[in-house]
Amino acid sequence: MAEPGHAGDGGEARFPNEVARGEKGEGFDTPIGQAVDATWRRVDSRAATQSEIGRLVAKVGHYLPAQGPISVFIHHNTLHAFEDLPFEDAVVQAGQRFGCEPLLSERVYREELRAGRISGRDLEAVLALELGGGADEWLTAHVQRRELWRRVLVHGIPPAKGADLKWLLEEGDALQGLRPDLPGDARQRLAPGAGVSRLSAEDGTLARALWAACLRAVSGSPHRPAVSPPPPSCLRDRLLAHANLDLDESIRPVLIRFVAAFLDQGIAHVSMPGRERGLYACFTELYGHRLAGWCGDWAGELATLIADDRAMGQNGEQSLTNSLDDLGVPEIERVEFLVGEGLWLRGWAGMVHEFETRPDRAPQTAVPATLTEFLAVQLLLTRAALRHAARTLKWVGSLGEVRASLGAPLPAQPQTSTPERTWPLFQAAQLVGLNATMVEAMSGEEIGRVEAELELLRTAARRLFHEAYERRLRHRFYDAVVAGGAPRLPSPPTFQAIFCIDEREESIRRHLEEVEPGVETFGTAGFFGVAMYFQGAHAARGRPLCPVAITPRHFVAEDAPSGSALDRVVDLRAAWRWVAARARKGLHTGTRTFGRGALLTTLLGITAVVPLVLRVLFPWLRRSIAPFPLPWSSSTRLRLERAPGTPPLGEHWGFTLEEMGEIVASQLEPMGLSQRLAPVVLVLGHGSSSLNNPHESAHDCGACGGGQGGPNARAFAQMANDPHVRALLAARGIRIPEETWFVGGQRNTASNDVLFYDEDLVPHPLRALLAHAQACVETARRREAHERARRFESAPASWLPDDTSLLHVQARSVDLAQTRPEYGHATNAFCVIGRRHRTRGLFLDRRAFLISYDPETDSDGERLSRLLTAVGPVVVGISLEYFFGFVDPCGYGCGTKLPHNVTGLLGVMDGAQSDLRTGLPWQMLEIHEPVRLTVVVEAAPETLERVLRANAYLWRLILGRWVFFAALDPAGLRLVEIRGGGQIPYQAEEPVQSVLGPSRAHYADRRGHLPFVRVACPSAEGG
Amino acid sequence: MTAALGVPHLSVAVMLLAPAVLLGTLAVTALLGRRLGERAVGTLVRIVMVASVVASGTALVEGATRGWSPVVLSYGSWFSAGERAFALDFVLDLSSLTFAALAVGICGVVSVFSSRYLHREPGFYRYFVQLLLFTLGITLVALAGSIEVLFAGWELMGLSSVLLVGFFHERKSPVVNAIRVLAVYRASDAAMLSAAVLLHHWAGSGSLSLLFTNSAAATAQLAPWQALTIALLVVAAVAGKSALWPFSGWLPRAMEGPTPSSAVYYGALSIHAGCFLLLRAEPLLSGLPVARALVAMLGVATALYAARTGRVQTDVKSALSYAALTQVGIIVVEAALGWTTVAFVHLVGNASLRLLQFLSAPNVLHDHHELEDEVVRGGVGSLHSNPTVKASPGWYLFALERGFADALLDRIVVRPFRRGVVLLDRMDRVLVGRPGSGGEVGP
Repeated sequence: MAEPGHAGDGGEARFPNEVARGEKGEGFDTPIGQAVDATWRRVDSRAATQSEIGRLVAKVGHYLPAQGPISVFIHHNTLHAFEDLPFEDAVVQAGQRFGCEPLLSERVYREELRAGRISGRDLEAVLALELGGGADEWLTAHVQRRELWRRVLVHGIPPAKGADLKWLLEEGDALQGLRPDLPGDARQRLAPGAGVSRLSAEDGTLARALWAACLRAVSGSPHRPAVSPPPPSCLRDRLLAHANLDLDESIRPVLIRFVAAFLDQGIAHVSMPGRERGLYACFTELYGHRLAGWCGDWAGELATLIADDRAMGQNGEQSLTNSLDDLGVPEIERVEFLVGEGLWLRGWAGMVHEFETRPDRAPQTAVPATLTEFLAVQLLLTRAALRHAARTLKWVGSLGEVRASLGAPLPAQPQTSTPERTWPLFQAAQLVGLNATMVEAMSGEEIGRVEAELELLRTAARRLFHEAYERRLRHRFYDAVVAGGAPRLPSPPTFQAIFCIDEREESIRRHLEEVEPGVETFGTAGFFGVAMYFQGAHAARGRPLCPVAITPRHFVAEDAPSGSALDRVVDLRAAWRWVAARARKGLHTGTRTFGRGALLTTLLGITAVVPLVLRVLFPWLRRSIAPFPLPWSSSTRLRLERAPGTPPLGEHWGFTLEEMGEIVASQLEPMGLSQRLAPVVLVLGHGSSSLNNPHESAHDCGACGGGQGGPNARAFAQMANDPHVRALLAARGIRIPEETWFVGGQRNTASNDVLFYDEDLVPHPLRALLAHAQACVETARRREAHERARRFESAPASWLPDDTSLLHVQARSVDLAQTRPEYGHATNAFCVIGRRHRTRGLFLDRRAFLISYDPETDSDGERLSRLLTAVGPVVVGISLEYFFGFVDPCGYGCGTKLPHNVTGLLGVMDGAQSDLRTGLPWQMLEIHEPVRLTVVVEAAPETLERVLRANAYLWRLILGRWVFFAALDPAGLRLVEIRGGGQIPYQAEEPVQSVLGPSRAHYADRRGHLPFVRVACPSAEGG
Repeated sequence: MTAALGVPHLSVAVMLLAPAVLLGTLAVTALLGRRLGERAVGTLVRIVMVASVVASGTALVEGATRGWSPVVLSYGSWFSAGERAFALDFVLDLSSLTFAALAVGICGVVSVFSSRYLHREPGFYRYFVQLLLFTLGITLVALAGSIEVLFAGWELMGLSSVLLVGFFHERKSPVVNAIRVLAVYRASDAAMLSAAVLLHHWAGSGSLSLLFTNSAAATAQLAPWQALTIALLVVAAVAGKSALWPFSGWLPRAMEGPTPSSAVYYGALSIHAGCFLLLRAEPLLSGLPVARALVAMLGVATALYAARTGRVQTDVKSALSYAALTQVGIIVVEAALGWTTVAFVHLVGNASLRLLQFLSAPNVLHDHHELEDEVVRGGVGSLHSNPTVKASPGWYLFALERGFADALLDRIVVRPFRRGVVLLDRMDRVLVGRPGSGGEVGP
């Protein structure tokens, strides 16, 4: 069946979820007013002390993207404004509010159904739940409800309206024959007594008869199709629709240029004069200048408006009120009006809001921007353009009257025509096997019932598909976790390694365990409890390294060595650095100027050919020129101990012994590591480096607030090695054996390089063991590179030697032309909180966050509660940001990277001047599967439920089904889902396959998502 | 002698035919519904580029051994009517061969870059078709020996440029901006076409050697006012193509395509094509002080305007495009002063440097942090804009609004043009119910 209008037909579909225009947003008819009310409740309480207009603006701010400057990328729920609602409603309402897709399109789900990713069993289960007791009800003599729903879901009714439908009926194949995909029994009933191989001419007669019958039936049916309310429209839409005037072209570029220049953090060489006076004052001064009239035809009006404002001596807030009055927006509509205005340039407005609420996160200069003033400026521009439009079109009256006259709804959604109403019935009749006679035999009431059912189904289809889509994956995961991997613990462990909880660490932990069966690995939030401001030895400024919810109080600096022998080398190096810095600075600014630029381009310009050719044609060369690790990183030391004085950031220089003890205990205890430490414990943070990638920091460690976790790992190791700290810990019952040594390190998740710190401090007796541990990590990182490379289409799918894979991923991280240095958190779907031996030996395909937690030593759930408070928001934020980014890559994500243009060191625009694009780029998302996070916690169901109920944030998300929790019985193989409505024991569905390891046996030569299996390593049996 | 002449023939043939043949192949396979895969396209483009680079290198070496005496290669005429013939002529001399080598070299590097950068992009095929069109166009411009060949190359460049600005045509603003670029290009192309027609009319031949290599012959055949008219038309064509003031408004708008296409067009080649043409026409201009003065003024105005504007731009691509334009203005002045060699070296240097800067534009955050660390730790003060440089509001506004060039062009050129297009679109909608619109009510 032809489906005209699909973006995928013939043309180039950039994103799989591209939806035909006719289909867009179909079936999601929920009044948006509810959403507004629900989400404002929370804001209202906060804004109690603000002025009237301040309260309105606070509500606007709530809807804006909460993404800060891009150099510190922090994952968060894209739909944070709708978190109070159940997930299913939230996606619909947010979709309407932002003009985005709620879920994947029916077409995509149906493809997944055909591919087996959604199984028939899951669809049945979801339908059974949806229809409840009414599933077996007979709508008419021949149509059973469940059967109707199932068939329409599986086969689908091609969307067709207006000209499309006309074409299908008159020139397409809709009436030339029956659907080719009919189930056997339906075909039997439609064309009784004939085999499948009937002549199509007779099929055509049948189809036309059925169509005629359906047309008649619909005319007699009492059913009235629901009229969807017109989509919310702002002033600009109406102006465009009624007068063909496009404000996007006149005032939008001006506003973008202005706000970008105001917020600029260092791209421009000359910054805007007088920024310290605030956004509104700056705007009125600049655009009050007599030259401003040249900005466009409409700009003459702007001068008048600004002059009026200045004459009245207004500030931004008063100007905003004044604009609202002038536009005649009644009190009751103001909220809705301002939200609409705020979402016009939501990226920029959101950035202004970020500067207002989190000035500490400004990369260089915290310019005084406020959302109120931004909106005041926007409305001044709008009024100017509107006045100009009114004059051009010879409208008379005040702006309020003009606005009111534009207020007539947009050309109403055309009434559903009879053929449009008939189409679904006609299609459904074929699917369930109703022939023309049967349709004619149905009463009007029965037809109405079927029609109503189809309408209901239309609104529910995507939701049901999605449930089935998630259910399958979740249940396969449950099956794997319940069955478990290789429960045998290495005892005693040869060495131990602590990683971040990141799902990207799942694979390297697995490989490490396969390489050295005697190792024990652990997962903890990658800042290792060390919340600090950190300044590297060669960094210009410090930065926070801890989850974004924590404001660090301690400042830690990395000191370059100042030893006697090294002094001269250091001096030389410093001198060289000075020269290099001067030269680079000179080149950086010089090439963009007039005179120096002319000299430089004429005399030196041609030399650019050398780096150009080398970097483009031979990207891997860069690695040999700038080897990693950097030569000085091993000779530096962290200044970790408390020192007097005030640091540049935070409150204290370094930590006291008590604080260090507290940090070490907070990490070791929940992991169950307080008693059984191996002689060598590796502590590995992670970060990522890539070139030509504005979203580089989105690949860094979420638990370090979008920073690199190496310094935290190093600090933690240094604390745990401190004999004074150990003494303090011993008093608390945490025994760190004297011979045990912690070694900090960092893994680069893009290049797979691993770097260890302070190796020279390791006691001699342990060096051999450390060397062994490092050799194991070395092999593991090579294998892991190989596993990662299978996902890159530009890496050969067939088997590669480890070294080649390593080179491949290393080259990616230094290649200017590479838009996918790594896939980041893509494919994340699960989280396991529990002891590693429950998951050890399972191949989880880099899809699960793994958090070590020992339920045995935490009977009251106290530690679990702390753990969930700390890591819950991080993992949920990552999961939901990827979810929505994939569902609507252009609306919730920032589209493809190719045209991105870094602006103001704050974010990216599409091309020359667009809204600031927030969210994730498609190149990071493309292999993702949008599923909500499922967290499996090894704890008694009662304990888990109690802990969750006590956690307001998580419990709200659980009630709204934004995240799923399940308890895995610490003692046995029982798994219980914890839902808002109660506990649901899980019955294992499918046995988990076993594969003879190592992991490569399972993933070799395969690109896509892989089933979870148990990897039995022959060598592991001996452990 | 024949052996010596064989090299120019062969290299010109390779440089022109290689991209043309691949274009043909891509077109035919696409029409047959059998688009080549990403890998195949990438490999073929690489082969073509390597062949072109080798050919241009060989021609350069051969030219040097000849001592850069110009060689004119005639491949007959396109068609002829009466006495007038449209000649397929190519000129090989120092500047044409250097520019051709620069052009194919840059196109080669950018295609290697793009084949990785555009990996998995649905428009991959389309992108390379357009890049090949461009390569063919700029090679024609570089080697043109007759104004017909020049015009054909000029048009191919313009076409591919506009198509790449509108590469992401599913969004609105690339299309809007592509149409803007198109409008300016058409205006300058009209000037170029008029120059061609007048040249034929007055001189009876479209041979560029008349204008570009031999001023004595030119002045002999053309009256001074005729030469001036042609020169002014050429200058108009140059001004549009190289975004000289007052046509500069389209330049930042052209940054809508994928990063490497912005790099090759607006950083490196397209923007310098006008300068190249100006340098080629130097013999013509040298006898016309009025035209030279005008060109110099345009150059100065452009350079000052772009330098001022570029300093306040807050997105990296606009900042770079104005930086490139500043130097283009200066190159134009150098050409007007007759400093051909300086201008040529400047052109090559500017093109190479801007290409590198554009290709690493998305790296600006990374670079900035590194640079800041180096500058602060190296003790070279702060990286940030000099606080003593205070812009007055008027100057700042002028620069921020890009000299109001957009609004001016809007009023004079773009709006009338677009009004016509909107009208056509509306007629289309009324006459034909478009499938996919879903807006029309059924039968």
